[in-house]
Amino acid sequence: MNQAELIGKIIEISHSNLELTARVNAILNIIAHDLGFDEAIVYTFDKDKRLTCRYANQKSMLFRILSRYRCHIGEGIVGSVAQRRFPQFFTFKDISPRFGCLFYPELDDHLERFRTFSFLPLSDDSYLFGVIVLCSVMRDSLQDQEKVLLSVISRELGGILRAFELILSSKKRISELAMLSELGKILTSNVGPYELLKSIALIIAKSLSASFVSVKLEYPLLKLETQRFTYGMIDPAAKDYVDQLERSAIKLLRPVSLRNGSPEQLDNPPPFSLYSAPILSKMRVLGTITLCGEKSDQHGIEENGQYIINTISNYISSGLENTLLNARLRSVVRELTDAQKRLIEQEKFRSLGEMTANIAHEIKNPLVIIGGFTKRLAKKMQNDHTENRYIDIILNEVTRLETILNEILHYVKENQPYEEFCRLQDFLEDILYIVSSDPAWESVAIVRDFDTALEPVPCDSQQIKQVFINLLMNAFEAMRGTGTITVKTRKVVYDERPFVAISITDTGGGIDPAIIDNIFNPFFTTKERGTGLGLAISNKIVTNHKGHIEVENVAGKGVTFIVHLPMKNNMLQEEFA
Amino acid sequence: MKRVRVLVVDDEENIRLLFKEELEEEDYEVETASNGVEALEKIKVAPFDVVVLDIKMPVMDGIQTLNAIKNINKDQPVILCSAYGEFKQDLSSWVSDGYVVKSADTRELKETIKEILSR
Repeated sequence: MNQAELIGKIIEISHSNLELTARVNAILNIIAHDLGFDEAIVYTFDKDKRLTCRYANQKSMLFRILSRYRCHIGEGIVGSVAQRRFPQFFTFKDISPRFGCLFYPELDDHLERFRTFSFLPLSDDSYLFGVIVLCSVMRDSLQDQEKVLLSVISRELGGILRAFELILSSKKRISELAMLSELGKILTSNVGPYELLKSIALIIAKSLSASFVSVKLEYPLLKLETQRFTYGMIDPAAKDYVDQLERSAIKLLRPVSLRNGSPEQLDNPPPFSLYSAPILSKMRVLGTITLCGEKSDQHGIEENGQYIINTISNYISSGLENTLLNARLRSVVRELTDAQKRLIEQEKFRSLGEMTANIAHEIKNPLVIIGGFTKRLAKKMQNDHTENRYIDIILNEVTRLETILNEILHYVKENQPYEEFCRLQDFLEDILYIVSSDPAWESVAIVRDFDTALEPVPCDSQQIKQVFINLLMNAFEAMRGTGTITVKTRKVVYDERPFVAISITDTGGGIDPAIIDNIFNPFFTTKERGTGLGLAISNKIVTNHKGHIEVENVAGKGVTFIVHLPMKNNMLQEEFA
Repeated sequence: MKRVRVLVVDDEENIRLLFKEELEEEDYEVETASNGVEALEKIKVAPFDVVVLDIKMPVMDGIQTLNAIKNINKDQPVILCSAYGEFKQDLSSWVSDGYVVKSADTRELKETIKEILSR
């Protein structure tokens, strides 16, 4: 076979559809067979830039020995050819070349057989892709022409390796792009935080073929049930490593892997690779994302994942921040909607209130007249039992109507609270003393649980007293006069502001959940003779104080009404807010 | 001894009648007026020991009447008597000498008059 035919054959193979290993091995077989070499071996670079013997002709004896060792650039003949990118040729007359490293005792027996050794770099003009080694038992030397041929062939081999690398890296880029586009879709969609984090883990795991991907949030940012979102199963053996890596990623604020950056030296590295990167936003550490590679692919995940994870952790953080903002926005919108609803309610009641007030005014005079003259009539009646009873009934009903009218007008009236600093426990004591001195309260036990260190609270004491009297009377009536009332004062923080919470708990069996939404509505009552204004007025007074009333209802047991009053006078603050 | 003179000012006829009868039982000499203008005329003729003044009235309401009375005679005692207590917060009502919520039960009114008379 002449040289032209040989090169033709090699080019044919190199352009075929065969798999890379098959192509390279086929070419090596041709070289060995047609040019009379016993060994035709190709070294290529690993990802960590070390030379490994990967391909060989079929009859190669050395491949099994050489493939056990990896060598650095510059080490041994292979290393130095790679370094200098210049071929080297030896014959049996030279000192036998050391292949990969300085000490290679198993080779000694074999090397004696060979009479020529050729080492050629596989490179194009700019990149080196490996080294080819050719050894012959029969041939004493190589002609210059053959050396040229070999360098042509090694360029061709370099070309094959280069094309393969390009395909690999473009495949990688394509999958990265696909992942980024998937992530982009998810991050710009408005799925909830739970869905978002789950999808992120899934997309990354699929794209990098990781055995698991775990996103862990650093603190309960989103009020989710869990702080860890994992695609795949976390190997129990990996769990401690994962925790350790996540901690050091957050501590060092940079990506870490088991080999690089973990603070403790690992004597026995585990049979998997882990890579953990912090998810950083402008202000804070949101959490970490951790990848685990398959057991067979020791360092792959780190190599493949590094670039992409470092890039997307930024996306993830902005996605998370967006979700956070979204959640906050939603709650603000909800608050606004609630406020609007309340405003509409208030407006409704205000106009209803005005009408009611006018009616009440109009009714009051006739009522006074009816009542007044009935009283005069009563004075003139002489001891007729039946008639006196009728008059009493009229008078009672007049009194009742007057009470209702007074309450209605009190409710309707816009009373700005006159605020002064009051010691709540003092007037709570006063009220409790007054109500409990009523004989009807004999079977009511009152438990006081006061925070004695409570500072005075700004409030209109007359109005607030009315609130507590209303609540105590409700409690009394709910218990039908028998039970325990617990009055408790505490300092609390609500919406980042200091409040005092005064709770009144009864043992009256609670409120029917079906009606609990109505209890603050004016004219809503469950009592036979109630006006339905007690809680409405109380609520209005407390709201005028920039406070609120909370209800904790335990059906079958009792109710706790908690009155929250702001500790500091924050009306001014609000104006400037 | 000279009888105590009381002027009841109210636009509602039956209220005037009720108060008149109730107060006459206290042995007061009771006159009535149905609005502020009429009341002022009577006061100009001769001062009363107490004026009981309704607030919600047509032509001239109680607060205006009160101020007019005090302009004529600042020592003329006036009790404001209204359906509800809402005017207690109104500063211009503070020049009155008493404030009574109008009620079928006239005891509060009577006590307030007695209290003013004893001053």
